Amino acid sequence: KMTFVSRVQRDPNGNYIYSSRPRPVENRSGYGKPPPEQTHSTYGNIMFDPRVVRGNTYAQRILPIAAQSDPDEVQRQQEIRRRNIARKRSREQSRTRTPEAAQGRKHIDVQTECYLEELSDITVAKDIACQTDSFLDRPASPLFIPAKSGKDVGTQIEEGELFDFDTEVQPVLEVLVGKVIEQSLLEVMEEEELAYLRTQQRVFEERRNNELAEVMRLQEQDRRRTEEKERRMAQQKEALKKEKEVAEKIAVRAYTQEYLSGLLPTVFTSLRSHGYFFDPVQNDIETNFMPWLMDEVNNSLERRNTARTLLDNIIYDVVQKRQEMFKETQ
Amino acid sequence: MAGPPADWTRAPVAFGRRAVPQLFGELMRPEAEVRLRALASLCGLMRDPERVYQAVRGGFLEQLKVLFVDEDPSVRTKTCELLHLMTSHSISRQALLSSSLLHPLALLMDDPSSSCRRSLLLVLNSLALLPEGAEALLTLVPKLMQKLRQVMEEEVEVEEVLLLSTITSCSRLDALPALACDAVLLVGGRLSHLSPNIRREASAALMALSACEEGRRRVCEEALLPAVVELLQDGDVAVQANAAGVLMYTGVITTGKQRCLDLNVIPMLLDLVTRDQEQQEERSRKALIMFSLRALTTLAEAPLGRRLLLEQLPLLVRRSEAAEEDLDIRRAAQTAVLINKQRRQTETDMIPYSP
Repeated sequence: KMTFVSRVQRDPNGNYIYSSRPRPVENRSGYGKPPPEQTHSTYGNIMFDPRVVRGNTYAQRILPIAAQSDPDEVQRQQEIRRRNIARKRSREQSRTRTPEAAQGRKHIDVQTECYLEELSDITVAKDIACQTDSFLDRPASPLFIPAKSGKDVGTQIEEGELFDFDTEVQPVLEVLVGKVIEQSLLEVMEEEELAYLRTQQRVFEERRNNELAEVMRLQEQDRRRTEEKERRMAQQKEALKKEKEVAEKIAVRAYTQEYLSGLLPTVFTSLRSHGYFFDPVQNDIETNFMPWLMDEVNNSLERRNTARTLLDNIIYDVVQKRQEMFKETQ
Repeated sequence: MAGPPADWTRAPVAFGRRAVPQLFGELMRPEAEVRLRALASLCGLMRDPERVYQAVRGGFLEQLKVLFVDEDPSVRTKTCELLHLMTSHSISRQALLSSSLLHPLALLMDDPSSSCRRSLLLVLNSLALLPEGAEALLTLVPKLMQKLRQVMEEEVEVEEVLLLSTITSCSRLDALPALACDAVLLVGGRLSHLSPNIRREASAALMALSACEEGRRRVCEEALLPAVVELLQDGDVAVQANAAGVLMYTGVITTGKQRCLDLNVIPMLLDLVTRDQEQQEERSRKALIMFSLRALTTLAEAPLGRRLLLEQLPLLVRRSEAAEEDLDIRRAAQTAVLINKQRRQTETDMIPYSP
C-alpha cells in the first residue's frame, strides 16, 4: 500500500505507541474467500455490516475474560452450548405435527368461525378528512336543579334563644367572684400572717429584754461579788502585810535591845579608854600645866643650852686665838 | 382592653411579665407626669410578691437612685412609698441593703417636702426592724439624732415617732452610737410629752439605750428616773411596760438601785404586779408584769429593798406558783423569791468589808 495507514513504534521511553489514520471498513467478500484486489470501491455500508453489533448491548453475552485461558472450561462451555442446541432441536422434532396430506391432496388453511373474513395482507384503508366548524359560543350550561325529593322543613331562631344571659353568666360570675374572694382571702391571710409575725417579734423582744435584764443583773451581781472578793482579798493581804511588819518590828526590837545591852558597857569602856571621861583638874593639869611646865623646862634648858653653846663658842674662840697666838709665836 | 384607661393617675400596665420592665422603662422618661403615673402603677403592682421578686431580680432598684434627686417632690414621695411597699418583702430588703441606695436615700432626710420625709422615715423604720438593716443604719444614727433634734424643735409628731422607733431598733443592736450623740438626754426630755405615741416611743428608746452599761450610767446621771417612775402610772400599757423596763435595766447598777429606792418605787411595782385582770388584758400586760418582776428582783439585791420585799414575800410566792400563769412570769417571780431568800449574799455584797 502506498499510503501508510497505521504504524506501531516505540517512543523514547520505551512505551508502545500505536497510531492510525481513520479509514473506512472494507467489505468482506465472505468467509474463506481472498480479499478483493480493489479495496476502494467496496466500502461497505456500516449499517449493513454484520460485524457491527446491533441493538442493546447490555444483554449481550459477555465473554468471561478468565475462561479464555482455561481450555477445559472453554470446552465444557462449548459442550453445554451444543447440548442445549441439541435439546432444543430434539424438542422441536418431537413435537407432534399435523400429518402429511394424502396423495393428491393439499393442506389449506381454512377459517372456522361463523363469519368468514377475507384474509389479506393488504389492509383496506380509507382516508377521511374532517374539519371542525369554527367555534360557536358555547351556551351557558343550565343550572342543575335536581328534582325535589324529601320533606320541606323550616326553622326560626327567636330572640334570646341562642344566648341565655343567666346561664351563660353563671360560670363567668363564679370565676370572677371566686377569684376576687380568693385574692382577698390571700391578702387577708397575708396581713394576718404579717400581724402574727409582728406579734411574734414583739413577744420575742419582750422575752429578750426579760432575759437580758436577768443576764445583766446576774452579770452585775457577779461583778460586784468579784469586786468585793478582790477588795477583801486586797484587804486581807494588807492585814497580812501589816502583821508581818509588826512581827518584824518586834523581832528587830528584841534584837536591838539585846545588842544594845552589851553595847553600853563596851561603849563606856572604850570611851573611857579613849579618854573621853576625864577629871577636869587632872585634865587641866595635863593640858595646861604640864605643857607650860615643859615649855618652861624647855626654855630653861634652852637657855642653859644656849649658855653652854655660848660658852663653848667662847672657849673655842679663846682656844682659837691662843692657837693663833701660839702659831704666831712659833 | 381597648378604650381610655380607667384611672388617669396611673400608667397602663402591660400584660404578664412585661409589666414591670415596661413601667421601669417609663421611669426614665423626661416628663414628670409620665414618671408619676408609672410610679403610681408600680405602687399598685408591688403589693404582689411575684412582681416584687421580678423587680428585684431584674435589677431595677438601681434605677430608683436617679429618682431620689428628681426635681418634683411628688415623684420623690412616690418613690419612697414604693420602697416602703417593697420593704415588706425580705428579698427587696436584702437587695436594698446590699446595694448602694442607702446613702442617697439618707440624704432625702433633709428634703423640703414633708410627705417625702415621712415616707422615707417609714422605709428606714421597716428596714431597721431587720438585724442587718439595723446594722446598716447604725452608721446613719448620728444623722438621725440630728434630725430628731430638729424635729423636736419643730414639733412634728409623726416624724418624731418614726425617728424614735428607728433609733430604738438600731439601739437594740448597738446602743453606743446613739449614746455618743447624747441620746439619753434628748429622749428623756420627751418622756412627759402630751402625745401617748411619743411617750411610748421615747420610753421604748430609753429602754433600749439603758440596756447598755453606758446608757444606765447616763440615765442615773441625768436624773431621769423620777420622770420614768411617773410613767409607771401612765394610762397606756405599753408606756408602763417600757418604764418598768427602764427601771429593770437601771436597777442593775448600784447607783440605779439606790436612786430607785429613794423614789420609793417598790410599792408601785408591787401594785402593778398584783393587779388581777381578765385573761386578754393579762396577755397585753404580760410584758409589764415581767419587767416589773425583774425590776423587783434587781431591787431586792439592796438590803433596804430586801427588807421591804420580805414583808410582801407571800404575794410573790403566790404569783410564782399560780398554775394559770404564763411560764415566763412564773420564772421571773421565782427568781424574785429566790433572791429575797438569799440573805447572806445579798447583804454582804452590798456592804464593803472592813477588818
